[in-house]
Amino acid sequence: MLTELGDAGVQILGISPDPNERSQELAERLRARYRFLADRDLAVTRRYGLVHVGGGSKGQDVPRPTTVVVDRRGIVRWLALADSFQVRPDPKAVARAVRALSP
Amino acid sequence: MIRYWPALVSVWLSLGAIAGYFAFLRVPAVRNRPELYLVAFALAALIAGVASWRAARWPNLAALALSAVLLVLGGYFNFVLARVPATATTFKIGEPAPDFTLPDATGAPVSLASFRDRTPVVLVFYRGYW
Repeated sequence: MLTELGDAGVQILGISPDPNERSQELAERLRARYRFLADRDLAVTRRYGLVHVGGGSKGQDVPRPTTVVVDRRGIVRWLALADSFQVRPDPKAVARAVRALSP
Repeated sequence: MIRYWPALVSVWLSLGAIAGYFAFLRVPAVRNRPELYLVAFALAALIAGVASWRAARWPNLAALALSAVLLVLGGYFNFVLARVPATATTFKIGEPAPDFTLPDATGAPVSLASFRDRTPVVLVFYRGYW
């Protein structure tokens, strides 16, 4: 996703319940233009309706893997909801959705 | 040993499917088709099954057992463990994204609204390391 979107003038925000230091490790490992936001108690994930209840390996609630494209006016323009956590949207499809936004 | 080539093909197919899946995890065409490894396990079980039926010797039976176990485990993972129930989201395409403020890796608060009129935003909700 990062190489495809790197020059598109877009901010990628990764949101997970992970503590920040773990996310930071991941960002450095991927050398990504991500900003990782920690939603420790899943409050934001819940406000978006994206909690997978009891979906974690220890039966805890986890986010449902989801990618959302928001335009400059704050309107949702594109959405990829997974029905399996093995599946992620093709970065090219995300990049296409971003490029399709009106400037 | 040459008599057991179907057993070898079966084992090679099973292990190759696992290795291939992980090797190409970053390729969307592979990652987003997890049923490919199940097809490989099923094919491996079929080959080993036919070989075992023709000659019930241990290499054929071992290949059959391996591919059958992988097929069951893989099927359980793909169809049960990895499933995410479809629940209703609170937002829709064409509607405003709910605003939020969350701390970034340095602890600085980041709000969705702060990108308004500046740049599009891609929100990636992910499970983390759990």
